[in-house]
Amino acid sequence: MCLLDFTNIDFDQLFGLKDDTNPIMMLIWIVPIIIFVFYGQRIQLTITSGEIKNGIKKLEDYKTKSRNELIDYIKKNMNPKDDPTKKIDRFLDYFTIMPVDMDPNGIVAKVRHIVRARENYSREHIKSLSPQTSDLELTKIQTLLEIATSLQMIYKVINHLFLTAKKHNNYPLILPLQMILPFILEEAEAMHKAIPAFKMGQPIGDGIGPMIVGKMMLDTKKESITFQTVLSETQYDGRKLFLLKAEGPGSTVGRPGDAVESIVFKNKPDIIIMVDAALKMEGEESATIAQGFGAAIGGIGTERFQIEDIATKNNIPIFAIVIKQSVQEAITLMTKEIAGKADNVRLQIYEMIHDNTKPGQSILLIGVGNTMGVSQ
Amino acid sequence: MFSKEKIIYAYTVEKCNQCNLERKRKFKEGDFLFAETSKCDSCNGMTIIEKIFGETIEK
Repeated sequence: MCLLDFTNIDFDQLFGLKDDTNPIMMLIWIVPIIIFVFYGQRIQLTITSGEIKNGIKKLEDYKTKSRNELIDYIKKNMNPKDDPTKKIDRFLDYFTIMPVDMDPNGIVAKVRHIVRARENYSREHIKSLSPQTSDLELTKIQTLLEIATSLQMIYKVINHLFLTAKKHNNYPLILPLQMILPFILEEAEAMHKAIPAFKMGQPIGDGIGPMIVGKMMLDTKKESITFQTVLSETQYDGRKLFLLKAEGPGSTVGRPGDAVESIVFKNKPDIIIMVDAALKMEGEESATIAQGFGAAIGGIGTERFQIEDIATKNNIPIFAIVIKQSVQEAITLMTKEIAGKADNVRLQIYEMIHDNTKPGQSILLIGVGNTMGVSQ
Repeated sequence: MFSKEKIIYAYTVEKCNQCNLERKRKFKEGDFLFAETSKCDSCNGMTIIEKIFGETIEK
């Protein structure tokens, strides 16, 4: 029997460490260096492409599923006379051209005009599929359409960037895509997961503001102040309280900017308190409450601009209370933790009113957010 | 080691506005916050939907 002796290996001899001119060692070191110098970017491009392709596949899946779910929902709940598929596909491809910002003066009004024109157009055209559809169903379908349109746009843009980089074998072009893709995927996944909540008419995390103010509105006289926005008046400890929120239980954020303008014009409140959901930072606990100053309202920025403008012109301080949550929590079914904070926030609002106003003064309290599944 | 499948169940909490009795049940389509639902089992007052939320269960 022949036994190999593994204890007596001369590593110096094996790797040619004693002899600097060993040709095998030269090849082992130099060939990869040459390959990486000339083909390094292509190798990296191939590796990165694999990861990005998986991400794009997910985005395509979200896009297709959201489109199909929207069409099925319309067929089931609107009973349209004709097949709505062609019309929906046309809606999904609509784009919005933002106004020129070389001269930013007056741009907010222009953006507001374009966004509202788009909203009005899509509402009317969805309604035309089946005119007897209720307003509640219309708001749900409009939101589902927004989700499907956004997912389609995200897929198209990311796919375009990827294919352009591949076409030109341009590695630096693919780098920013690799960096932003995880964030894009997180948002796209959140939007995709939001679909069941909107179909079922369930409150979402963003609805915590309307939920808090909506409960305070119970047993008060409500009036429609602007489009899809309700106002009611009540008393609290000798102070007049104006309560404002989007009109529920449909899926809408209302028009708080126009409403604040109208309220301030008629009865100038002494302070404005805004309650809204806010995105939590990584590491922050979900459903934590924070107080601050300034207009707590998201979206494209036109409503915030309008509220800040009116408050500044009338010298009204704006206080904010936010309930922290992730992107996914904000647009999917409200979690137990977030719903459980409503009473606590209401107590903090009363405390804020006590600390910052005197009896006889008036307060405008705004519940900001999507009021899906939240009445008043 | 392996990530478990997460399922979200939607629940509705009804609360009686007289005796404050709370009852948790599965969410059903048509439920929305502050809607009057039924008469309270204990005091005959009206119950309203106080909360609707999702609970995640890992399988």
